[in-house]
Amino acid sequence: MKRNLPHGRDALLLVLGVALILLVLFMDALAPLFRAAFPQLDTAVYARESFLKLTLDHLALVLVSSLISVSVGVAAGLFVTRRAGREFEPLVSALAAIGQTFPPAAVLAIVVPLAGFGFVPTIVALTLYGLLPVVQNTIAGLGTVPTDTLEAARGTGMSATQILWRVELPLAMRVIIAGVRVSVIINIGTATIGSTVGAQSLGTPIIAGLVGDNIAYVIQGAVLVGLLAIVSDLLFERLERRYRFGS
Amino acid sequence: MIELQGLTKTYDDKDVVQDISLRIESGEFGVLIGPSGCGKSTTLRMINRLIPLTRGRILLGDEDISHLKPETLRRRIGYAIQSIGLFPHWTVADNIAVVPRLLKWPKSRIDARIDELLDLFHLAAGEFRDKYPHQLSGGQAQRVGVARALAADPEVLLMDEPFGAVDPLTREVLQNEMRRVHERTRKTIVFVTHDMDEALKLASRIAILNAGRLVQYDRPIELLTQPADAFVSDFIGKADLGLKLLSRRWVNQYQDRARTTPDAASGRPSHYWETDATGRPTCLHGGRLSDGDPEARTAVNDEWIATPGMPMKEALSRMVWYRVMVLPVIDESGRLIGEVSMDGVMGRQP
Repeated sequence: MKRNLPHGRDALLLVLGVALILLVLFMDALAPLFRAAFPQLDTAVYARESFLKLTLDHLALVLVSSLISVSVGVAAGLFVTRRAGREFEPLVSALAAIGQTFPPAAVLAIVVPLAGFGFVPTIVALTLYGLLPVVQNTIAGLGTVPTDTLEAARGTGMSATQILWRVELPLAMRVIIAGVRVSVIINIGTATIGSTVGAQSLGTPIIAGLVGDNIAYVIQGAVLVGLLAIVSDLLFERLERRYRFGS
Repeated sequence: MIELQGLTKTYDDKDVVQDISLRIESGEFGVLIGPSGCGKSTTLRMINRLIPLTRGRILLGDEDISHLKPETLRRRIGYAIQSIGLFPHWTVADNIAVVPRLLKWPKSRIDARIDELLDLFHLAAGEFRDKYPHQLSGGQAQRVGVARALAADPEVLLMDEPFGAVDPLTREVLQNEMRRVHERTRKTIVFVTHDMDEALKLASRIAILNAGRLVQYDRPIELLTQPADAFVSDFIGKADLGLKLLSRRWVNQYQDRARTTPDAASGRPSHYWETDATGRPTCLHGGRLSDGDPEARTAVNDEWIATPGMPMKEALSRMVWYRVMVLPVIDESGRLIGEVSMDGVMGRQP
């Protein structure tokens, strides 16, 4: 399937991707710039941990929480759109909605006493927070599969499993990926708060900067988080495009 | 062969299909027709078990379909629907290959079958194999839909108003193709429609349903000449009954010998054809609707002709349109093989 790709988006992805990698690896090189901008600061570039390590830790938080959100979310969405689980649809949607209404900071406040500081409570908070878009879009995506197509699929003699894998999921994939995209982007931003409970992430320099009144740290952390979110968003956009079937 | 025995479907204590018994022999083109809500689609969908039946039995060959797994049954029955339901994420070839793949045919056999079916529907394989459904016109998509239904060479083909959503011109073409495909494949077909002209054109047997009951099950001619009750005759429509009858008559049933020289002996005004060296009719002497002047010459054009398989209704319509009393009947290579005339239509029992 050949399509005219929007070259602008791809060029933007390339430029921002390269910028992200360079900043992660060589933030130090910008030290003179930060010193010039903020002459009152003792240290101009965050140095307690390398930005590479911070970025990888950040990505680990997002990846693990998103993997759980997506598996649980898609599974729940599938379950409530099958005949056996249809009754549970309102319940599951409501639960997922509550997960997102609950602020991650509040989740941390509840989970930390139970699970301690660090990685685990952050993962719990991010997972809950990222669940709703996945569940919602899985249900919506499966709902967009035309009933005629399903009728034709049944008429050809496909089993329910074959219909799900060969027809429903491929056709719903674009909307499901859009949900995953929202979930991941939200979590890339939200993962920064993990640093308040001791999970190392790109939020760590931001928190350190806020506490120690070092605006350069805040900028360094925030720029990397922002770039990470934009680059991921563009990558998802590319992925979604592969599941457009003429509509 | 398909046989329905006392078929009944009940929704919420209401019988939407009541005690229908009928038999469609192998190779027959059976049409279920009736006003909307008469239960024709429900009946059709019970045959491939998309809808479970409430009472009665359906036999496919000599097997009771309730003894077959629904998936197994459906792979033995082709199914084409009005909305087509092509899989939008698959190419034309993949769409046609669905059932053969489910049946695990070898790839070479599937590929050969795809080309064979595209060819049957006059779709160039090189051009259409790799197209996606959104790149097809309505008529092309519907052809692919029927090709998909025929792909695994099913015993029976079920069609639910397959041409209901295409424009009238395309519908006409598709109906002609369907007749040709049926003649070539001799599939047993169960076809649902609400269009009486479509039914008369295609069916070898027509079942008229009303309010869930079978009112009459007959060959088209009997339906037209001996309607079972007032509902049937109303449904057929009396106003153009004569034309409807002619839509079930073919040119070769009315074909006469064509003269290529003036009939000097009879002394009556007559007409004759001029042909070229290859035997194609070029010109008609006399035989005009307006005057009957035996010396008038009328040039034959591409549309002003009849073929042996053309419905008489269409031949008559062409006579009226071109204001002639007679049409040349030509064979596939365009040679004059006979003629049909107004006199011929009027002079014979329809």
